[in-house]
Amino acid sequence: MVDFCPDDTPELKAWRLEVREFLHEAWPSKRIFDYDYDEDPAGWEEYKAFWRAVGKKGWVALTWPKEYYGQARSTVEKWILDEEFIAYGAPTYPVIGLAVAAAVLRHGTHEQRLRHLKGIAEATTLWGEGYTEPSAGSDLASLTTRAHRDGDHWVLNGQKTLGTAAHQCDWMFVLARSDPNSVKHNGISAFLVPLDTPGIQMLPLENIGDGQQNQTFFENARIPADCLVGDEGQAWNQIWFGIGGEQLDNAFAAQDTHLMRMVRMLADTISYCKETKRGGAPLTEDPVIRVQLGELMVGVEALRLAALDGYSKAATSGKGGRGALESNLNAAFYKEFWPHYAQVAMEIVGPLAQIQGGKWAQLNGRFEKYFRTSFGNHAGGTSQLKRMVAATRGLGLPR
Amino acid sequence: MAIDLNFNEEQQLICNTAKEFFAKRCPPELARKYENSTEDFPRELWKEIADLGWLGMTFPVEYDGLGCSFLDTYGIYVEAGRSLAPVPLLEAIGIGAALVARMGSADQKQALLPAIAAGDKLVTLAIMEPDGSYGANGVTLTAVKQGDGFVLDGTKLLVACAGTADRLIVAARTGGAGEDGVTLFLVDPKAAGVSIERTKNIGGYPLYAVTLAKVAVSAADVLGAVGKAWPATEAVMMQAAVLQSAMVVGAGERVLEIAVGYAKERVQFGQPIGRHQAVQYLCTDVAIALRNTSLLTLHAAWKIDSGQPFLREAALAKASASKASAKMTFAAHEVHAGIGFMIDYDLQLYTMRGKHWEYNLGDARHHYEIAVAQAAA
Ligand SMILES: Cc1cc2nc3c(=O)[nH]c(=O)nc-3n(C[C@H](O)[C@H](O)[C@H](O)COP(=O)(O)OP(=O)(O)OC[C@H]3O[C@@H](n4cnc5c(N)ncnc54)[C@H](O)[C@@H]3O)c2cc1C
Repeated sequence: MVDFCPDDTPELKAWRLEVREFLHEAWPSKRIFDYDYDEDPAGWEEYKAFWRAVGKKGWVALTWPKEYYGQARSTVEKWILDEEFIAYGAPTYPVIGLAVAAAVLRHGTHEQRLRHLKGIAEATTLWGEGYTEPSAGSDLASLTTRAHRDGDHWVLNGQKTLGTAAHQCDWMFVLARSDPNSVKHNGISAFLVPLDTPGIQMLPLENIGDGQQNQTFFENARIPADCLVGDEGQAWNQIWFGIGGEQLDNAFAAQDTHLMRMVRMLADTISYCKETKRGGAPLTEDPVIRVQLGELMVGVEALRLAALDGYSKAATSGKGGRGALESNLNAAFYKEFWPHYAQVAMEIVGPLAQIQGGKWAQLNGRFEKYFRTSFGNHAGGTSQLKRMVAATRGLGLPR
Repeated sequence: MAIDLNFNEEQQLICNTAKEFFAKRCPPELARKYENSTEDFPRELWKEIADLGWLGMTFPVEYDGLGCSFLDTYGIYVEAGRSLAPVPLLEAIGIGAALVARMGSADQKQALLPAIAAGDKLVTLAIMEPDGSYGANGVTLTAVKQGDGFVLDGTKLLVACAGTADRLIVAARTGGAGEDGVTLFLVDPKAAGVSIERTKNIGGYPLYAVTLAKVAVSAADVLGAVGKAWPATEAVMMQAAVLQSAMVVGAGERVLEIAVGYAKERVQFGQPIGRHQAVQYLCTDVAIALRNTSLLTLHAAWKIDSGQPFLREAALAKASASKASAKMTFAAHEVHAGIGFMIDYDLQLYTMRGKHWEYNLGDARHHYEIAVAQAAA
């Protein structure tokens, strides 16, 4: 592990302060806003304006190459930025855009980079992800959405589902089968699809965490040929396995959304326990609660260090961070730990944690909302599948 | 006395009738409709249940009851849980009416029980306070003697159906500490000084914040003996905790059915997901939690039914039910992955209500403490 001791130079100390001061100005309300679990229109406007301000600073693309709207700054600086965002409680960037940026930077053409990275860097374009289909979830390679070439267009037909916040998005990153005779992983291509294309329709899927996924229907949706990203038929290896999915801890380091939220939640859980009395004493003095909090601290700290490890490996290798074993172990742990965290936190808070709003809600109802959202832990693949990949690809167990 | 965890013929008949009734009258849409709604519960359905004789089943015959035993009603709670029936059976009958039947004077019983049995009146308990403690120590709302009566001041939370209840049974402190000095009062929620506010909650239940500001209550409205209400209150709440556990069992059976059904139907990688051992483990996690809770709950019910001491058994049952509720929820969501996260899919109805049940009448920690106290006594 590279020694990540971020504040060991005056420059880095100054950088940390710069970020901190910016946040006070750009997000004064300190409102808790998780874009994938909030449908409040005013909140969305405030949120988008915030990220456009971050984008203006050039901080979304902090580590990207200069020729593509980036600042080519170091991974250490990126880590400091993220730490400050967490500490401040700022909302996280819509993560799919960052995955798309990584894919386009790696596999896109120069023109595609110029065209698409700008909107992501400036936070003016929002991206949805169109991988999952009604009968292709964990078994993504069984997807049947078709893309066929027609002159200088690709024509899409099929259905995607569970697209997070796709109704808020301008573009969608779509995986489709471009070779009709292919099976499984071969013959799948990736497309950058403008969502205002005729022939695309969406139906909402409301989730239990106050957010919305969507079903997206493609009926002879014609997109220009240059919407194909990467090599035709090679998306599985290039995009999905290489960068997509949840493997965001690479050189273009995306924010680790879930981790950031969990670190924030832990800090808030601990202050809640310090400030709340039961039977006359603060919850932090209750021996059972101390044990519960201790367990939560261990899990969150392990995840924080895993992210740090990813950043530091990326800093040394200049490429992807953690390997298949490490990243899948982290993902599997995270996916199981999140609902566990939410459950234990609700046990700590007790019966009043049920209340969702108003004067009697604890921490504005955030514990129970965190509990509800924790069943969205399957986004990006289930823990069972992460364990399976870790076991076979990582530990070398037979498939 | 030999342990018998089987129902007798009549009890089995009640189980079957209840299953049919709730399946027919309480589809999941009804539960959805009453989620955080402006109405506390469907009044006509409540009347229908009254007409079936289920509300007054355990009341003494002289108060229009049927004098049935605890186990006789067990199946009704299992089925109410399975169907998520949006009616306050547990709150108004298992707790409210049970407190009146156990502690009330002849006049109080006469005034309330026949009307409750008929579905015309409703009484619920107001005990939880803003500090969130269970047990006698949590009761701090003050009741100060004034003339012949008392004046009550304080706040109660998570009070069921305060919007429709004719009387709230308010647990208050008339002095003392801990179990000593707790008194129950029958308070009209429309009385001067009482304000109620429905609080939106994860289970969507009609739960209220009730604030009492200098509320005058007459001596005739004290339920049970002044300062000595705790043991009987606790006994009723522990019995009700067993009924709550029975509801968890019924709901758990349905959750297991949903999860196993989905595991058989959903195909990934060319086969039903239920063929993967990972998914088999998840389904059996639900089944094991359910099996344990079902055994512990029936055992506690049988202890109550046969007039034996039951605190230990009831505590073990509710502790298991609370933990099971969370475990079953987690495992069933894992089986479903994406689809289980959607509002339209019925699994989540159990997730949200299960959360309330986990807390209601004491969480696992509270009941572990009771069980250990019994064991260490
Ligand atoms: C909140 C949320 C947001 C999402 N956002 C997006 C998005 O923006 N875009 C997008 O394309 N998708 C999105 N998804 C979809 C997500 O990628 C899928 O939910 C996930 O890949 C699992 O697929 P599934 O839901 O179809 O579950 P299934 O694949 O049907 O899995 C059901 C169960 O079977 C198990 N299982 C399946 N195969 C195996 C096996 N071989 N061995 C052992 N167990 C197995 C699973 O682990 C799980 O327990 C989102 C999902 C959620 C919950």
